[in-house]
Amino acid sequence: MHGFLVGVLGLALAVAWPGPVRAAERVRVTGEIVDTWCAITGIMYGFGTAHHQCAVWCAVGGIPVSIMDDAGNYYMVLRLEGDDRSVAEPRIVSIQTHRVTVDGTLVERDGVKYLLVDEVADDRGIVNLTHEEYGIQPFGE
Amino acid sequence: MTGRALACLALVLLAPGAAFAAQTWGIPHEKPVVLRGEVVDLLCELAGECTPDCGGGRRQLGLVTAEGRLYPAVKGEVFFAGATLDLLPYCGREVMVDGLVIENPAMTLLFVQKLRGSSREKWKPARAFIEDWRRRNGPAREWWRADPLVREVIARDGVFGIPGLEPEE
Repeated sequence: MHGFLVGVLGLALAVAWPGPVRAAERVRVTGEIVDTWCAITGIMYGFGTAHHQCAVWCAVGGIPVSIMDDAGNYYMVLRLEGDDRSVAEPRIVSIQTHRVTVDGTLVERDGVKYLLVDEVADDRGIVNLTHEEYGIQPFGE
Repeated sequence: MTGRALACLALVLLAPGAAFAAQTWGIPHEKPVVLRGEVVDLLCELAGECTPDCGGGRRQLGLVTAEGRLYPAVKGEVFFAGATLDLLPYCGREVMVDGLVIENPAMTLLFVQKLRGSSREKWKPARAFIEDWRRRNGPAREWWRADPLVREVIARDGVFGIPGLEPEE
């Protein structure tokens, strides 16, 4: 009976406990700055030059940007080099689609990797040339 | 109509798939939801870097449910726009959100379609972005092409983001 109660209590705690929260850690991430909504939902082709204009629209519209690394991990950017603005921040808008290497702090919670960028260590500009295959996404203009 | 039938009707109307519930988009991993939770500033919630007003519209916001689960609110009802200005008036308070949760293995997202402060209030569409934009910029059929910052960036870098690289005629 005691074991049963412990089991029930454990189950109740597991259900009520906040989602997995991993302690913050220092990381270096290399990847493409992407529009989080289009990239994750796949409602249109959301990468590279083909989607650059839409990525600018969404960043100006306040949709968070993320960095997608070469392994397909996504990191939602909440801060860029000391600027706590992450809604329509002009610098974030201006580096949409760029391939960057950043150093910062990673906090994981409930299925999302959040990134607080301390420094953009490298910015290669836009290198993912997808427009020849995908045209302009969306609308073709 | 019997009391049991009325109770069943009430349950149907309150169910996630009822008339007021979210419009599905056919997005992989999407789930229509009505979430109740506290509006939080993500930078404050995750890193302890707080302001009294959740950033005043400068920061990304999210929802923490009673179970402690955090959902980042990334999209509102306006094309190409987020939900920050919709959630901002509820900073630190409870709100009800009708929308979609996208539980993609790569990242979980919340798409806010409607919201209200309590069950006594009417649902309102998450369109605060365009109301604010029109106040600042005037009317436009497509805000995303008329926005001054968008026009500046696209005029400078082009639609592909690389100066000099133009679409074929």
